[in-house]
Amino acid sequence: MALQIINAGPNPIDVAEQIRLAIAETLPQATIAVRPGGPGHFEIDVTDAAFAGKPRVRQQQLVYGAIAHLMSGTNPPVHAVDRLDCRIP
Amino acid sequence: MSLDENVRQEITELIGSSDVVLFMKGNRRQPQCGFSATVVGILDAMLPEYTTVDVLSAPHIREGIKTFSSWPTIPQLYVKGEFVGGCDIIQEMYGSGELFETLGLEPVETARPRIEITPSALRALSAAAAEHGGAGRELHLSVDAEFQSHLSIAPRGRADVEAITDGLMLLLDPISASRADGITIDVSDTPNGQAFRVDNPNAPRVRPMSVRDLATLVESGEPFELLDVRTPEERAIAAIPGAVLLNESEAARIESLPRDTMLVLHCHHGGRSQQAAEQFVALGFSQVWNVVGGIDAWSQEIDSDVPRY
Repeated sequence: MALQIINAGPNPIDVAEQIRLAIAETLPQATIAVRPGGPGHFEIDVTDAAFAGKPRVRQQQLVYGAIAHLMSGTNPPVHAVDRLDCRIP
Repeated sequence: MSLDENVRQEITELIGSSDVVLFMKGNRRQPQCGFSATVVGILDAMLPEYTTVDVLSAPHIREGIKTFSSWPTIPQLYVKGEFVGGCDIIQEMYGSGELFETLGLEPVETARPRIEITPSALRALSAAAAEHGGAGRELHLSVDAEFQSHLSIAPRGRADVEAITDGLMLLLDPISASRADGITIDVSDTPNGQAFRVDNPNAPRVRPMSVRDLATLVESGEPFELLDVRTPEERAIAAIPGAVLLNESEAARIESLPRDTMLVLHCHHGGRSQQAAEQFVALGFSQVWNVVGGIDAWSQEIDSDVPRY
């Protein structure tokens, strides 16, 4: 039998919560939903009045800026955000 | 995330170094990732010149630009110092026509491509449009940088070009439209059922050139590169005047030329040069010819002073 080593990464549920908290710190009024996808992959929905009047790229920059520390470094807990939806309530 | 002040300074200078700056993996000639290649394809079609920064050769910029822009992915486009977006947003802005405005360009009026559709393909496409279209969703044809065609049903983009064949409308984004003139769409049977088959005459391929056409081309004085792919020993026996031996340094020189440079390759009978020519097509050259019959045909039909061997 081939020897296979499975290196357990961080629990995706915990990372999803870290993402949620980090966004909530920057956008305290926002409604935030984070769903884990594949390992290190996440889908994020953020609804916030603060997005009003901003082009989509500026809305997404607010969110990406809030979670940048979770996406940088050599082996970050978040590898990719597969989908980021920013909505205005 | 804090960003080292020196890195911030360096990025600020890069962004200010030109009106359009693309942070990407690889460079304009050789993008090293599909997303970077997509953005290069769009910018190439719109701008004669822009600046690229290869983040693969500068790891501190690769990490730094993510923090600087609050944007986690590469490529990243800056126009006049403003962050515009990554691959998805650029594609979307290109499709909607907004990117022309951002780059300060007048939207170009793209000629409608002529597309031929066989009767069976026309029936199948009309049926697909009727089944999946409607509510502003229409049939699209796109042609990517490798000249592969894709059909889809999607909302109309502001810059889309209409191609109407026998009452059926296909929408194409401007880059696809520029690659689509003369396309034929047919239906063919595959092991997985019926599929559309698209023949695109614009797809780069090695084209055959007769020695007579080569002689005419030489006389015309038109600029082109005539490359001899034989060995130096064969060349010592016989050579076509003006042809250059394709050795390593010559190959490096050719590879650095614009991709629309006309390349004509020959060998002894046409076999080896066909293979070499296909490699130049794979590198992105669009005007590549192989001399049919090689130097042997040249000796027999054009210049009997060139010895046969």
